[in-house]
Formats: sequence, structure tokens, C-alpha cells
Amino acid sequence: MRQFSRRRFIQSVAAMSSLAVTPARGKVSGRVVVVGAGLSGLNAALHLEHLGCEVTVLEARDRVGGRVYTLDHVAGHPEGGGNIFGGSYGRVLHTAQQLGVALRKPPRGLPSDFHVRGQIIKASEWPDASANQLPADWRELLPSRLQGRLQASNPLMATRNWLDPALNAVDQSAFDGMRALGFPEEAIRLIGVNNSYGNRMADTSLLSLYRVRAEFARLTGSQLSFTEAALGNQRLPEAMAAALKGPLRLSTPVRRVSQDQHRISLVLDNGESIEADALVMTAPLPALSKIEWAMPAERRRLMESVEYHKVLQAHLVVEAPYWEKRGQGGSWWTDGQLGRIFVRPIPGTERYNLTVWINGDECDALDAMPKADCQAEIMKQLYALVPDAKGAVSVGDVVRWSTDPYAGGVWSLWRPGQAAEAHAALRTPLGRAYFAGEHTAISYRGMEGAMESGERAALEVARMLS
Amino acid sequence: MTGQIMLKALITAATVLTLGPISSVADELSGEALYGLACAACHNPGVQVDHRVGPPLGKLNQRKAGSVEGYEYSAALSASTIRWNQAELTGWILDSDQRVPGSRMVYNNQLTINEIQRLANWLLAEQAK
Repeated sequence: MRQFSRRRFIQSVAAMSSLAVTPARGKVSGRVVVVGAGLSGLNAALHLEHLGCEVTVLEARDRVGGRVYTLDHVAGHPEGGGNIFGGSYGRVLHTAQQLGVALRKPPRGLPSDFHVRGQIIKASEWPDASANQLPADWRELLPSRLQGRLQASNPLMATRNWLDPALNAVDQSAFDGMRALGFPEEAIRLIGVNNSYGNRMADTSLLSLYRVRAEFARLTGSQLSFTEAALGNQRLPEAMAAALKGPLRLSTPVRRVSQDQHRISLVLDNGESIEADALVMTAPLPALSKIEWAMPAERRRLMESVEYHKVLQAHLVVEAPYWEKRGQGGSWWTDGQLGRIFVRPIPGTERYNLTVWINGDECDALDAMPKADCQAEIMKQLYALVPDAKGAVSVGDVVRWSTDPYAGGVWSLWRPGQAAEAHAALRTPLGRAYFAGEHTAISYRGMEGAMESGERAALEVARMLS
Repeated sequence: MTGQIMLKALITAATVLTLGPISSVADELSGEALYGLACAACHNPGVQVDHRVGPPLGKLNQRKAGSVEGYEYSAALSASTIRWNQAELTGWILDSDQRVPGSRMVYNNQLTINEIQRLANWLLAEQAK
């Protein structure tokens, strides 16, 4: 019924579109403040400058990039934030090309062994391992592949359908949903331990998992090849920042936002006031909720109800491939607190980058510790799993996104059924304030979602200022 | 009169459908500005395939969909019988997933119906250049 009326509507629009529409001359002018020098804010700023606006970008951190964060102080400059450019990331790839940011195919990650229920298992041994407690028709699937079985029941056919109110109305937790689909308890447990789209399976949205699967299923041909910036992904936001004509102020957190009919006003942490015709606010919701702002109560409630994904990474540099003498691959997938361990060579050297990637509620205890203790605990656990790593690795840095005051996590998570309502509400302009950031994107997640949202916010501001 | 009422209804419906914000200001962004905001990252305005993830949009008027040499289209778009004109472009920009299921353009329209028409006019006129 819905589909039918939509098609009818498109046909009628198509029929009427022969009516000539006089092209108007768009002239956009005005002062715009963009809060946040991540990809969304920088993309919005570049578009608005191009259209003729006078743009000032304010960034709370002492660097640009936001959740794109290359650890330049660690050998191999590993990515602490956004780490891979998808083949369909049109805005990211084009912007990199335009600004001369060199891209490369990422060095191939080393194969993974498994540490499940206390046993070390090679991928080839998994189907027959005693720690593999999956039923017969599931045993062949590696723990990292189990979620793929969701694709058979995926209801998402089009880009924006994850926001469909009807699908959100029947959305449920990944835990309940997978049970209803006949997933074995052990499969649900294994999917849950390294789940990137929720902090726990009990309130991970099944629709969110379908969204990710639908995105992958749609990629074909050249879109299946991924890239990264050769010298670190942060070179992309840096190049974007360098291309701006107007000022970009680092270490400039915003304390308060207010507005009347004629202007929007910001008070900075240093007490300074700035006025503009429009604001593009790109702060992630946990950071945004700390800014003093008289928002409608319902909007604030929604904003504060959105959880962000917890990720903690320890970035190590490996001097020698200690895994070889035991015939191990180097990388690990574990059902313990260490989560996943990714190892890849540093091109042009004999060394490797090793990233311990812990996510979800498993981060809590480590997030609560002082950084040095957190690092010591991770190393203790790593050496327990791989004693040979002792003496062969050095710690580069530990990155904790949940405790980062300007992030609050790596990306927004929508609880079961929450997306349709909360997403639409949180990206709706408030007077002269427009909202961007990955949490407001529709077609993409991650870095391309951030770029998409900046483009959309620029369109909204341009309409108002034209 | 009837035509005007119908157009008004269509514009309202389009605004709701596209989930676009309802602007109190008349749409004034030019087709070229809209191309920059909605298309340019993925489609160049010329005729040669470049680094961008979508096909070029030059010489678009009456071009058969899925026909640019060297661009890797979805099977669905290659098989379609669409020839690009105002009506087809409008339907496509409004909802490409609906227009050609299985096509690979990942795009969520944010433009109003007026903006789409202005953009389509500009894109089709570009073929003269």
C-alpha cells in the first residue's frame, strides 16, 4: 500500500515536472559559526564558504579531526579513530583527491587465531574444537562470521529504511531478535562479546545490525576495496582545515548557546561572546549535552537518552613476529576482556602495529582506572594470552573514547526502536541552529556519514541565508 | 487554479516524503549550487569517468541510463530502459532506490521538489556545454 502510493506519487511528480521552473540565482551570504572541526563541521564549513558565507570554526580540542585521530607519536602512525575509507565513501574519497591527500591500500592484517572458553584455537581447527559449543549446522562458522547469518532475514532494501517508523515499531533487542530467529544461545553470546553496534546485546538494536549488513551487502566491484590516507587519516581533516579561508580556532570550547529572532550567540569557555546568523553544531551528543542551551525538554531528554559505543584501544609496536615460532597468525579474536587484537605490518619496516580493541561494557572497569593502571592491566592480560609478546612489544598509547569529554564514545547507538523518533528529532534545526555529525547521517555511518551530515547542514543553512 | 492547488499539494507531499526541513524562505539556491551540495562529491559534470564513485553527468539529456563507457553500473540500472530527461531525473533524485530497485547509488534526498527541478534543469542544460 505504502509502496504503491509512493510510486503513484513519483509518477505524478514526473508527469508534472515538464512545467518550467525558472532557475533562480542563488546568492548566499551571512556569518556562520561551525562548532566542531571534525569531518562534518569541516565539510559544512567548506561548502558554506564556497557558497559565499563568512565562516568561523570553533574546535574544543587542540587538534582538528574529532574522532578521526591518527597517533602520529606512535611508530606506523596507527589510527585511534576512524580507520578505513570504504569504497563507496564518495565524499571522503573525492575530498581527499581534491585536496591532494594521498591514499593507499591498507597493509594486509595478519590472520587471526581464536581464544574461546580459555582455549587457543586456530581458525582451521574451530569446527572441531571442544570450546566450539555451537550446534552442528553452525559449527563451521567462525565466531567473527556468525552475525552474517542475519542477512537472510534482512528487511532493509533501501538506504533510508533503517529510519522507517514501521520497522522501528517492531525492532527489538539483538538478544531477543536473534533468539526469535533461531540463533543458538552460544552464537548470540559469541556475537555479543565483540559487538560493535551496541554496548550489550540486551539493548543493541536488531535493526542497527541489519543496517550494517545491508550496507555491506550492497557493495559491489570496486566498492569492495578499502583505502586509508597513506600518512594517516587525520591528514584529511587537516587538509580540509587548511583549505578554509576563514578562521579555525583550536582549544576553544563553547560554554553556552542562546538565540533570538535575529542572531545566535555563543559564549566560549574563556568568556568571549560570538554572534552569527547561523550555527552548525556538530558536537557528539554526550559533548553537546554539556553545553548550556535552553532546548525544549523533550529534545534534551532524547539527546541524553542516546548511548554512545564504548571503545578502548591499546596501540602497541611489535619489534619481532613472536607468533611465528608457535605457528600462530598474530591477530586474535577472544571472548575475554581483551576483545580483538589486530596486527598489521608497518610498511617499509620489519615492525608491526598491534591494536588491542576492547568494546562495549567490557571497557567499564578499564575506563574507571587511571590510564597507567589501565595500560598495565591490558599488558598483564596480553602477556597471559601471549607470553612470547613479553620483550617483543612496546606500548605506544592507550585511547579511551568513552571518557573523552568531547566524544563520549565512538559513535551513536540507537536503542531498539529508538532510531526513527530520536534521529529525526535530533537533527531538526532549532531556530538558527543546524545540526550535523555522524549521529545525524542517514545514508552512511562513520566518516562518510559525518561528511554527508555536513553537506546536509550546509544545504539547510544555505537555504536560510539565500 | 486546479493546477496550482495540485502543485501545492505535491510540494507539501514531497517535503514530508523527503523528511526535509520546511523552510519559510523561498528556495533560491541555483541549480549549480544544488549540484555542488548534493551531487558533486560523487559525479563530475563532464563526460569522463574519474576517481568519483558515481558516473559523470555531462551530456545527460536523453542519455540512456547506465551507459557511460568505463563506469561499473549495477545490473539493475544497466538493464533499465530509462533515458534521462526532466521527469526521469526528478523521480530518480527523489528516490533512486524506489525508481530502480537494486541500483547502487546510496543517496538520501534532502532537496525539495522545487530544488530537484532546478537541479535537473541545470544538469540537463549542462549537456550543451
